[in-house]
Amino acid sequence: MKRKGLRFYLRIYFKILAQDIKSKMSYRADFIISTLGMIFTNIAGFVSFWILFRSFPDIKGWSYHEMLFLYGFSLISLTPVQCLFDNNWSLRSYVYSGDFIKYCFRPINLFFYYQSEVFDIKGLGQLAFGIGTLVYSWNKIGLACTPLMILKIVVFLITASLIMIALQNAAAATCFWIQNSFYILDLAYRFRDYAKYPVTIFSSVFKFIFTFLMPIAFIAYYPSLVILRPDDVPILTWLSPIIGCLFFYVSYKIWMYGALKYNGTGS
Amino acid sequence: MKIKKYLTLTRAGIIESLQFRLSMLVMVIGNLLYLIVIYFLWKAIYASADSDVVNGMTFSDTLIYLVLATALFNFMEMYTVWQIGRDIQSGKIVLDLVKPIDYRRYIFWSFSGSFVTNFLFTFLPTFIVVTAVTHGAIHMGLNLLYFVVSVVLAIMINYSIDFIVATICLYTESIWGINMMKQVIVLLLSGATVPLAFFPDTLRNVVDHLPFQAIYNAPLTLLLDGDPDMKDVCITLGTQLAWCVGMFIVSKLFWKCSIKQITVNGG
Repeated sequence: MKRKGLRFYLRIYFKILAQDIKSKMSYRADFIISTLGMIFTNIAGFVSFWILFRSFPDIKGWSYHEMLFLYGFSLISLTPVQCLFDNNWSLRSYVYSGDFIKYCFRPINLFFYYQSEVFDIKGLGQLAFGIGTLVYSWNKIGLACTPLMILKIVVFLITASLIMIALQNAAAATCFWIQNSFYILDLAYRFRDYAKYPVTIFSSVFKFIFTFLMPIAFIAYYPSLVILRPDDVPILTWLSPIIGCLFFYVSYKIWMYGALKYNGTGS
Repeated sequence: MKIKKYLTLTRAGIIESLQFRLSMLVMVIGNLLYLIVIYFLWKAIYASADSDVVNGMTFSDTLIYLVLATALFNFMEMYTVWQIGRDIQSGKIVLDLVKPIDYRRYIFWSFSGSFVTNFLFTFLPTFIVVTAVTHGAIHMGLNLLYFVVSVVLAIMINYSIDFIVATICLYTESIWGINMMKQVIVLLLSGATVPLAFFPDTLRNVVDHLPFQAIYNAPLTLLLDGDPDMKDVCITLGTQLAWCVGMFIVSKLFWKCSIKQITVNGG
């Protein structure tokens, strides 16, 4: 079969996307309420942050605005996984009911087709909130705004998103082997709440775990160091774009391996 | 009231939740991870503070408070909104409505089995671990009794709130957004994310007049108070009881008015 180019995939992506948005729009009330729910979540996260820092001026040398920076950074880097890979949440029920087989018969990349089917617009609110927080803390810390800085932050935001996407893909793919994989996916989802803390607060054992075994420190902490602590960037930070791509590739392979092994339910 | 038919539902619930042993394991792991993050985060926070006691709470107080709040959340969260919401969408609710048993009670008792298992497998271990880690910062005395009474009331208040939210789903047919909003509001305003003692005074005042603080803050405050003043205990429990009755009546009336609204597409 002829390999299809990027242009072909992009064109098809927007076609599928348009269908999904149309179907979402037919449930207008649900859409509005879900967006509100997302905004509420972000506001609540922010309020608890604010309350905490009212009583404590800094945490282990990290000031309020620096923590806010980490928070905003993690919100932005979690947007792609929320917007583009939301269909991972339904994978379990598709596999369980046997409907997943329909994706296996398409003449395009299985992973691509499955993920492109759903675009979660709610995530855009989170993106706006994250950008707002980041810009605000950027100003308050007094960081320079040079093209190099912008380039750095964009590269590292992409890196961070790749890692979260990889975690979620791998967690979702477990449903090809285990029945009740919702809890694993939920666990991976909960990681994002821990991503916003500097990994230096943990003891060395957990620093190791959160860096290598469950790489949540890469979602906000390591990438942010480039901006926040430019004189003292560990080698891991520079490696993180490679680690991000690697993780994504591995998770893609796991996902595809599970999907190709899938036999359907016979119905 | 024939208690036997309700206990049958409890039994079925226990058996059902024991079926999903793996998800139980993942839940325990997730919990553990959360506890670790909380522990180090607050340790770092307290290490950066000037004094050992902040807003009248020591490090072990805060740790016990937050850890047990999470344990209580896991144990009380019944996913009622999800369940009822799904039943409304699929139409299964009709079958439950025609059963010769009050719907509100039916749902409550079918979830009661998971109370038992969650209590034994998540709450109790967490409680023991916390007691060990904080070297007996939990006073063992009458406060345990008050705590148990308070938790029972909290479960009923939580259920009433859940039921009200689920009833709203009858009108909106949106589950995700509504549930998200509820969860966020309850967790923040009940003190489960940041102890209420850290809240600024004005906010604290508002929160004290809402039912949410009766869910987590009330039982935990009773538990942490090693030398309870009879008057305070009576006030706390009395407030909880009042909310319990109040929310019960509201949820019952709201359901009664709304059930005529229901539109079910087949089923």
